[in-house]
Amino acid sequence: MNRRHLLATAGLGLAAGALSACAPSSSSPAPGGSGGTTLTVWSWRPEDKDAYATFFQKYQDSHPGITVAFQTFKNTEYPQVLTTGLTGSNGPDIAQVQAYGKLQPYVDGGNLLPLDGEIAGLDKIDKAALAGATGRKDGKTYGVPFAVQTIQMFYNKALFAKHNLTAPTTWDEFIAVNDALLAAKITPIAVGGKDAWTLPVVHEALGSAVYGGIPFRDEVVAGKTDFTDPRFVASVQVLTDLQKYLPANVVGVSYTEAQSLFLAGQAAMFPGGSFEFGFFTSQNADLELGVFQVPPAPGAASSTALTPGYADGSWAINQATAHRAEALELLTWMASPEYGQLFADALGQMSPIEGVAPSQPLVAEMAKNYAEHPSRYLLLTDFRWGSPLGTDVMGNKLQELFLGKINATGVAEGVQKGIATWFTPSK
Amino acid sequence: MTSLTTTPGVATTPTGKTIRPRGPRVGRGVVTVLMSLYAVVAIGPLLLMVAGSLRTSADLFANPVGFEWPPTVSSYVFAWQQANFSRYFLNSIMVTVGSVVISTAVSVAAAYAIARSQSRLVQIIESVFLSGLMLPIHLAILPVFYLLDSLHLVDNLFGLTMVYAAAGIPFSIFVLTAFFRQLPYELEEASMIDGAGAFRRFWSVMVPLVRPAIATVAIFRFVPVWNDFLYPLVLIRSADRYPLPVGLTSFFGQYQTNWSALFAGLVIATIPLVLLFLLATKQIIAGLTAGMGK
Amino acid sequence: MVHAVQVVPPTRRRRALGAHLGLASALGFLAPALLIFGVFVLYPMVTAFSYSLFSWSGTARGGFAGLANFVSLFTQEPYATEVPRAFGHNLLIFVGTVIGQNTIGLALAHALHHTTRGRRLFQTLYAMPYLVSPVVIGYLWTLLLSPTFGPVNKVLEAIGLGQLAVPWLGNPDTALWVVVLVAVWQWIGFPVLLYGAALGGVPPELTEAASLDGAGGWRRFRHITLPLITPAITTVTVLGFIAAMESFALPYAIGGSSGTPAGATDVLSLVFYRTAFESGDSNGIGLSSALATCLFVFIFGVAVLATRLMRKREESLT
Repeated sequence: MNRRHLLATAGLGLAAGALSACAPSSSSPAPGGSGGTTLTVWSWRPEDKDAYATFFQKYQDSHPGITVAFQTFKNTEYPQVLTTGLTGSNGPDIAQVQAYGKLQPYVDGGNLLPLDGEIAGLDKIDKAALAGATGRKDGKTYGVPFAVQTIQMFYNKALFAKHNLTAPTTWDEFIAVNDALLAAKITPIAVGGKDAWTLPVVHEALGSAVYGGIPFRDEVVAGKTDFTDPRFVASVQVLTDLQKYLPANVVGVSYTEAQSLFLAGQAAMFPGGSFEFGFFTSQNADLELGVFQVPPAPGAASSTALTPGYADGSWAINQATAHRAEALELLTWMASPEYGQLFADALGQMSPIEGVAPSQPLVAEMAKNYAEHPSRYLLLTDFRWGSPLGTDVMGNKLQELFLGKINATGVAEGVQKGIATWFTPSK
Repeated sequence: MTSLTTTPGVATTPTGKTIRPRGPRVGRGVVTVLMSLYAVVAIGPLLLMVAGSLRTSADLFANPVGFEWPPTVSSYVFAWQQANFSRYFLNSIMVTVGSVVISTAVSVAAAYAIARSQSRLVQIIESVFLSGLMLPIHLAILPVFYLLDSLHLVDNLFGLTMVYAAAGIPFSIFVLTAFFRQLPYELEEASMIDGAGAFRRFWSVMVPLVRPAIATVAIFRFVPVWNDFLYPLVLIRSADRYPLPVGLTSFFGQYQTNWSALFAGLVIATIPLVLLFLLATKQIIAGLTAGMGK
Repeated sequence: MVHAVQVVPPTRRRRALGAHLGLASALGFLAPALLIFGVFVLYPMVTAFSYSLFSWSGTARGGFAGLANFVSLFTQEPYATEVPRAFGHNLLIFVGTVIGQNTIGLALAHALHHTTRGRRLFQTLYAMPYLVSPVVIGYLWTLLLSPTFGPVNKVLEAIGLGQLAVPWLGNPDTALWVVVLVAVWQWIGFPVLLYGAALGGVPPELTEAASLDGAGGWRRFRHITLPLITPAITTVTVLGFIAAMESFALPYAIGGSSGTPAGATDVLSLVFYRTAFESGDSNGIGLSSALATCLFVFIFGVAVLATRLMRKREESLT
C-alpha cells in the first residue's frame, strides 16, 4: 500500500466521518401538519411496535397537529437508555417506566412529572396497579399504569386431551397429571432456570397458595413475621418436590428454550405471566392454549388457589419535556377506557383501567381468576425498594435450590438476609 | 505489541526467504495433526453457526446436529428484510472506517514525536497516553453521554466516531512508537542535510517506513470498533442509525425463538470482518514478521 | 512500557545525536492526538472518577460524600459479597486466559514457525474467532451448549462421552470455566501472531549451534528461544491482564447482566453495569463510579509494577 493509497484511504475515512455527521435525521416521522408538535414516546416492547403504531395513529387522527414518534428498545438495554434519555437533551416526552422499586431512582432524581390532579381518570384505575406508579417517599403518582399481569399455569389443551388429561382442580389431580405426562416422556412443566428472574414467577405460580397470598404479605410488610416463616419455607419446598417434573438440568435451560419447549409441544405446561399469552399465540397460532390456577398443596395456608398479580409498569412524563400540555393530554387519553380497550384487544393483556373488558376468552379467564382470587407477586410489589432486589435474591437462591446446594430453609434464610439489609417494616 | 526485527545474518535463500529449521519427519506429522485438530476446534462452532443458518428453526429443534439437504436460505432473506441490515451495515462502515482513519492518523503523528523527542514533557505525555490503555472506558459511559449531549452529538454517528477514535489512540500510539523507535536515524539525518523540515521528514521519510505497522494498527482497531455494542446503545437512539451489533441485539430480542434467523443474522454480521481479514492478513503478517530489516 | 526487543546490539541508538525534533515541533505533532484523547476519553474518565466522591439520588447529584461510597462498596450488602466474588472471577479469568494463551498459543506459534505449507491457512483459521463480536460469540456458545437443543452435548453423547454432557452453563462450577475457555478460544489469534513474529526474531544459528552440541528440542526451546521471546510474553500477559480485569462483553453475552447461574459468571464490569443501571438503589451512580475508580487504580498499579519487574528481568537477560 503506497502513499497514494494511504492518502486515498485517509480521504475516504474523512469523507465517511463527514458523511456521518450530515446523516439526515430520519427518525422524524411524517409531519403532522404545519407547526405540529411531535411527542416522543419510548417503550421496552419492540414486540408490540406494530400495535402501538395503530393506537397512536388513532390519536393522531383525532388530534391534528400532534405526531407521536414511538420508539422501542430491547428490554435488557432499556434502563440505561432511559437513564441517559431522561437526563440529557433529546430525550422522550413520555416513557414506559418500571413499577414499584425500580421506579424510585427516577422519582428521587426528579426526572418525572407528578401527575396527581393533572390526569383525569386516575381514580378509575385499579388501586393495586397505581401503587406501582407511586413514589414511595412522597406518595405522589408518577405514571399511568399500562397493564396488569397475572401469574398462572398455561397448558397445552391438545396435548392434555391426547393423554386423556384435564386441568386439575386438586393437588392430587395435579400430581397425577404430572406423572402421566412424565410417563409419556413429555416434560410436564417447562421452566427456564438459567434466567434467574423467571424463578420467583414460577414460585408464585406453584406456591402462592401455600404461603397464603395477601394475608402473609400484610404480615411481612408490617413486621409481624419474616421470610423464615414456615409458610414461606413450605412454599419453596413445593418447588423441590416438583423438580422431577421440570426439565432435566433446569438451571441450564434458558427462558427462551423453555418457551420453545412449550411451543413445540415437547412440554405440556408453562408457569408464567399473562404477558406470555400474546407471545405464545403469535409464535404458534395452532397452539390450543388453556390456563388454570395451581391447586393448593396439602397444608397450604390458603384453602383456595390464588392468582398473583402486579402492575407491569406505567407511562410517565419526562420532567424536562418541552411539550408538557400535549404530553398530559396524550397521557390522559392513555388513561381512558377507550385506549384501554384498544390495548387489551390488540395485545391480549389486561388493562388496569376500569370498564375495560378483555376480548380474548383466555385473557378474560385470567382476569376473572385474578378478580376472584387475587394475590400479589410479593417480591416484586413490595420488596424492590432497595438493593439487593427481592426478586434478584430469590432468583439466585432458587437456582442454588435447584442445583441441590441449599434446601428450602436455606432459600428462605437467604432471602430474609438479603432483604433485611434495607427493609424496615411499615405499619 | 512489540515488533521484533529479524537480525542481519539470518540465513536466507537467494530469493530472500528465510530458511526455517524443520524437525524430524514423524514428529512433524504429529504436530500437523494437532494443529489441524485445533483448527477444527477454532472453526467448528463458526461452521455450526453457518450450518444452522441454512436450516429451518423447526428442523433445528428436532435435530440439533445434522444437516438437511438441500439447504435453505429463507432465514437470510428473512433476517435481511426484517432487520434492516443494509442500513446497519452502512452505519457500521461509516463509523468504523472514520474512527480508525482518524485515530491512526493522529497516532502516527504523535508516535513520531514521542519516538524522536528527548523532552521530559513529551515523555510525560507518552505516559498519559499509555495509561489510557488501562482505562476501563466502558465504565465512563455516563460522562461520555453527558459530554456528547452538551456538544449536541448524541444520536449522531459523528459523535460516536470521535469517541471510538479517541479510544483507539493509546493502543495505536503504543504500537507505532515502538516501530518508530526502531528506525535508524540516518535516513532522517540525510533528509535534514537536504534541508527538509520536520513535517517533510515525517511525511516523506518516516511514514512510508511504518506502513506495515499502520496496517496492523488499523486492523486491530477495526475489529473492536466494528463489534462494539455498548456505546452505540446509549449514544445512538434512532433505529436507522444503529451500527450492526446493536441492530443485531434488537433483532435477537424480537426473534429470540427463531434460531435459524438468529444464526443467519450472526453470519451476516460477521462476514465483512472475515473478508477484510482475509484481504489484510498478508499485510499484517508481513508487518509483524518482516520488520525493518530492509 | 515494553520496548521492542533489540537483538541487534544497542549501538544504533545514538542518543548523542539527540532529538531531531524540537519541542515546538514535537508538540505540534502531538496536539491532534492530545486534543481528541483529552476531550473524548480523559475528561469523561476523570469525571467518572469524580462522581464517586458524591452521593446520588438517581441521576441528581447530591452532596459531597468523600470516601463514603468506597466504604459502602466493601461493607454494605450486596456489594460486600458481590464485589470480592466478582473480583475473584476476574482473577480466575486472567489466570485461565494467560495460561491458555501462553501454552496453547505458544505451542501453536511454535508449530507454525516450523511449518511452511499452509501456514497462512492455519493462521487465518486460528484467528477467525477473534473477528467475531463477543456478543455473537456469547450467543453462539449459549446456543451450542444448551442442554436441550444444543449440539455439543448431543455430539458428546454420540461419541460415547455421555457423562460429560452436563449443563455447562447451568452449573456454577463449570460456567466460569466455559467463559474462560471461550475467551481463550476467541483470543488465541493474537498471541499466535505475536509469538510467531517473536519466534521469527530468534536467530537460527543459536538453535542450530545448540542442537549440534546435542541439546534436544525441548532444551533448545527452554534455554534459548524462551528467554529471547520474553518481551512478547510480557506484552501478551500485561494486555491479557487488562482485558481480563475489564472483561464485559463475553460474560454479559453468556451469563447476562446478573452473572448466571447464581452469580458464577459475575465480573466487576457486570457489577458496575447492574449497580449503575438496574438496581433499585438510588445511589447507583455514586457506588458504581467508586467501583470503576477502584478497578482503574488496581489495574494501573499492577500493570506498572509488572512492567517494571519484567523490564528489570529483560535487562538482566540481555
